[in-house]
Amino acid sequence: MMAFIMRRVLLFVPTLLAIATLTFFMMRLAPGGPFLAEKDIPVAVKAELMKHYGLDRPLPVQYARFLVHAVRLDFGPSYKYPSRQVREIILEGFRVSAELGGWALLFAVLVGLPLGVVAAHRHNSAADHAAMVGALAGVSVPNFVLGPVLVLGLSLSLFVFPPALWQGPQSRVLPVLTLATAYVAYIARLTRAGMLEVLRQDYIRTARAKGLNERAVVWKHALKLGALPVLSFLGPAAARIIMGSIVVETIFQVPGLGRYLVNGAFSRDYTLVMGVVLFYAAFLMALNLVVDVAYTVLDPRVELA
Amino acid sequence: MIRGHPRRVPPPPAAAAAASGVYTRRVRTILRVTPIAAALALVCAACAPRPATPLRSASASQRWFGNQKPAGERIFRFDNQAEPEDQDPGKSSGQPDGRVARIMYEGLCVPDPKTLAPLPGQAYRWDVSADKRTYTFHLRPHLQWSDGTPLTAHDFLWSWRRVLEPATAARYVAIMYPIRNAQAFNQDSTHRMRIEDVGLAAPDDSTFVVTLQHPTSYFLSLTTFYTFLPVPRAVIEKWGDQWTRPEHVISNGPFVLDYWRQNDRFEFHRNPRYWDAAHVRLDRVIAYSVDDLNTGLNLYKSGVFDWLPSGGVSAPFIPYLREYADYRTGDYQATYFYSVNVTQPPLDNVWLRRALEWAVDRDAIAKDLLKGSRRPWGNLTPLGYPGYVHPPGYTYDPAKARACLARAGYPGGKGLPRLSILFNTSEDHRRIAEALQAMWKNVLGIDVELSNQEWGSYLEATTTLHYQIARRSWIGDYLDPMTFLDMWTTDNGNNRTGWHSPAYDALIEAAEAEPDTAKRLAMLSRAEAIVLDQGIIIPIYHYTTNELVKPYVRGLYPNLLDVHNLKDVWIDPDWRTRETPVAEAAPRR
Amino acid sequence: MSVALDPRALAAAGDGAGEPHAGRATLWSDAWRRLRRNRAALVAGAFLVVVGALAIAAPHLPFLADPTAQDLRLSATPPSRLHPLGTDDLGRDTLARVIYGGRISLLVGIVGTLVSLVVGVTWGAVAGYRGGRTDEVMMRVVDVMYSLPYIFLVILLLVFFSRSLVMLFVALGLVQWLTMARIVRGQVLSLKQQTFVEAARALGAGDRAIIFRHIVPNVLGPVIVYTTLTIPDVILQEAFLSFLGLGVQPPAASWGTLVADGARVLALFPWLVAFPGIALSLTLLAFNFLGDGLRDALDPQVRRERS
Repeated sequence: MMAFIMRRVLLFVPTLLAIATLTFFMMRLAPGGPFLAEKDIPVAVKAELMKHYGLDRPLPVQYARFLVHAVRLDFGPSYKYPSRQVREIILEGFRVSAELGGWALLFAVLVGLPLGVVAAHRHNSAADHAAMVGALAGVSVPNFVLGPVLVLGLSLSLFVFPPALWQGPQSRVLPVLTLATAYVAYIARLTRAGMLEVLRQDYIRTARAKGLNERAVVWKHALKLGALPVLSFLGPAAARIIMGSIVVETIFQVPGLGRYLVNGAFSRDYTLVMGVVLFYAAFLMALNLVVDVAYTVLDPRVELA
Repeated sequence: MIRGHPRRVPPPPAAAAAASGVYTRRVRTILRVTPIAAALALVCAACAPRPATPLRSASASQRWFGNQKPAGERIFRFDNQAEPEDQDPGKSSGQPDGRVARIMYEGLCVPDPKTLAPLPGQAYRWDVSADKRTYTFHLRPHLQWSDGTPLTAHDFLWSWRRVLEPATAARYVAIMYPIRNAQAFNQDSTHRMRIEDVGLAAPDDSTFVVTLQHPTSYFLSLTTFYTFLPVPRAVIEKWGDQWTRPEHVISNGPFVLDYWRQNDRFEFHRNPRYWDAAHVRLDRVIAYSVDDLNTGLNLYKSGVFDWLPSGGVSAPFIPYLREYADYRTGDYQATYFYSVNVTQPPLDNVWLRRALEWAVDRDAIAKDLLKGSRRPWGNLTPLGYPGYVHPPGYTYDPAKARACLARAGYPGGKGLPRLSILFNTSEDHRRIAEALQAMWKNVLGIDVELSNQEWGSYLEATTTLHYQIARRSWIGDYLDPMTFLDMWTTDNGNNRTGWHSPAYDALIEAAEAEPDTAKRLAMLSRAEAIVLDQGIIIPIYHYTTNELVKPYVRGLYPNLLDVHNLKDVWIDPDWRTRETPVAEAAPRR
Repeated sequence: MSVALDPRALAAAGDGAGEPHAGRATLWSDAWRRLRRNRAALVAGAFLVVVGALAIAAPHLPFLADPTAQDLRLSATPPSRLHPLGTDDLGRDTLARVIYGGRISLLVGIVGTLVSLVVGVTWGAVAGYRGGRTDEVMMRVVDVMYSLPYIFLVILLLVFFSRSLVMLFVALGLVQWLTMARIVRGQVLSLKQQTFVEAARALGAGDRAIIFRHIVPNVLGPVIVYTTLTIPDVILQEAFLSFLGLGVQPPAASWGTLVADGARVLALFPWLVAFPGIALSLTLLAFNFLGDGLRDALDPQVRRERS
């Protein structure tokens, strides 16, 4: 087990290096630059800014310098927000995104999992169909529609929740709901499919034949394996959800990480983009590793290769 | 009227259209969506303290948008829209950065909240030499930074010189170029020029002397601009780029920064060491960085914001919001236009450009598409310059347009290759581009394709002249036509059309040196006529400010530069009963 | 906002590779028989046929207005007799724009998916079949791409290449092929070990024959299922790009651009988001139902149970 984890962690290095290289050169080759503006910046000033950030050096030198600093997790200051270090921006945004994503994930699992189990257990019943239609509807409504509709209904008409901002517990409700809906749907579908397969297995039949309580059979024995598809979905999903959602952050004005990536790419904020992309990649790989390890713990059939 | 000032702009012509059936039907739809909001407004109105005297004020009959309860008597919250990029006033650029800077710092002069005329700020008086090239500012006695250290003329000297130092790389440094030798020093790569050669001096702690390159009639207004604000030398030298953090920063204006979270908010509290602190009536100011227009409007409606500054209301909502007393509008010194790359055929043909100009129905765009939220405009320079006579601008004239097109060699649009309109990704730009596309097709019979690029690519394309026709706009920095005209000189970084003319350059240069105001304005008017005649830009509309202000907010006025001094703002909890607000009459100085 | 299905999850959820099928004819007729019994999937399929027919026939529909014809005096009017679904702020007929929007959205969904299909199946099949170092390297590339935030990739692609519809297909397809490649590779790897493939090889069948006779038919099931489920995903991705302003170029509009623009004026002109939104959601729903139905029909384990 330890050896497996070590080998995977070692594999992170070339993958991250490839990602860093790819991102670095793609960003630099994109048209435009960080110091173009609607109102022209005088040539001398632009030259000074380029010098200040080392952008006047040859590209390979810039790349080497970037790598040396990146190893120490130092991405330098953001070009767009020069008083802030990229590392700071990421950590501050991540704290918020992780909270938002964490609640959304929790909500999605707490609602989606039971929904899927019930649907599978009562296969082809009305409850099953209702759950699946609901789940599919959840995936079929874009969240940039769902968000404004929730705001209009629950905030501006019923005054139950604030329409936006990240202040106080009530402000969490609408963004979490908007973010979680699609995930509830996916988890419900995956759970149902996984459970359907498991409930057919011999050992479940045996357990039932032995007269075990049906509730225990379903919720304890079957769910343990039936939820495995959800588990492997949760790795990348958690990474994505926790890294922030540009839609939810825009609609609800949540100061999370999601918007930095898109806005940074648009404004050619090289350092910020590099930092966020690498952070995202590392986070995703780490979560996938966690999922793989969890798999072996839950499913004795799986061996770590 | 509860507001003491007359509306600057007569109600836009489209207000008449607003009364048509189409419009009222829409309003009813909205009311259906928010019956509870309306109900709550009624409840609020009912709960309000009974006035001692019968109401004559219009406020009772006026409709207000959403929540009308202030958060407190001494707290003011507004939407600063985008997250400011640089909080260092010497380096910042852009409206959100400027708003934060003006809350915290005060320059030599401050703009009159309505007319923008320079009023005494940190300087209590000034002398101007006979040749109008030397300004001697006298600072108020006992000025202090918010940490108690004295603020002297040397602080201004250091701050202004810092902006001019090439190493500072201040993006807006060009606004300081009217100062003698400032441009030469700032752009001098040989380092032969010394900072002492620049026309700035502080002969003693309370006197600051500025010498100009040319007699610049608008120089006093420039001193209210954020690039000219004083910054704390000791803090900057100690903390470098991070001096603007709340834990380090000190300031000399009415408020000091307490708290900041990126993409969330700035919180300020009253600066007790500000020279006029006794007249500052707010204890706290919160500036939220909400950049989504719908979110901003929702927050305003639910009472989280007391003020939604101009730019915070999206165009489709304006006709609806115009029905509410919160809505205020005024002219804004900015124009929206398309610029034409004249370096490549077929658009190197001036008659083709003129054909495009006459074929634009600016009234339809401003009134129908933008619902009267903008003023149709066929000129380059906007309104608001006393004594300036605009040259005749473009109007909608299909016959003339077709005649120009024929004269260009493309009668009926035959033989003309497909043109392309570039705009940066935005719903508002897209709608106007689509309207232009249809107009040129209908009037001239020419095909135009739309190309929408994200911001970085769009800027690259316009600055390197890789476009044919591109959406642009220009916001004036100071109240003078020059801010719209010097950009078309050869090699100016804002020209971006490839057009150049030695005669035009000479005219602008002569206008800069001309001490006589009337003569100077006449020259500028001639310059504008040239730009229009050459068809290098296709003006579309004149910007207006569109803001929402809660009924209890006093001391905010629309003005041409959309700059506001929160020092004058106060919250009136008795707004329902008070007829003429006390401090509304005139700002105290 | 996208929630891509993890291949492992998908494989565990409904795995077609469990048993090889030699008789191709019975496989498909069995599947068809089962699909016909699934009412939801049939209704979904019929709905998609109608939507597709409308989209294809749009330019020839006599009652339909020109989706680009503007009338600024009729700007943003609610549904009326003249404009049954109302007009947008440029006075264009919403019904026409919704139907033409369907053209673009379906095209984006199908072509984007085909791009991912071609790239993903080829990549996955080659990696899985060759195995060894080739597989190692190819899957490492997939890992790298997989770890890049998808939206960042799309933005860069759209920044680098001109913003044409073709680029949009490519950008969307290039994001989706990763999952497809993983699924196909997994299938091929397990099939390769199956006795019937080894038997064919022992009998002297060449690579080509093995791939086309034995591997492709057995991989087809999961690929079809995944394709059906990818189309709605791609349509949704395009909608998301539209929210960022990166969708199709005006004056063309997809459901995504219509919905994204409509959502901004939800409180004022609800019909501008409602109608394209309903069209979009129902179509996504239908694709998902059909995909689920196909999975059930092609899933050997469900089959074993039911037959």
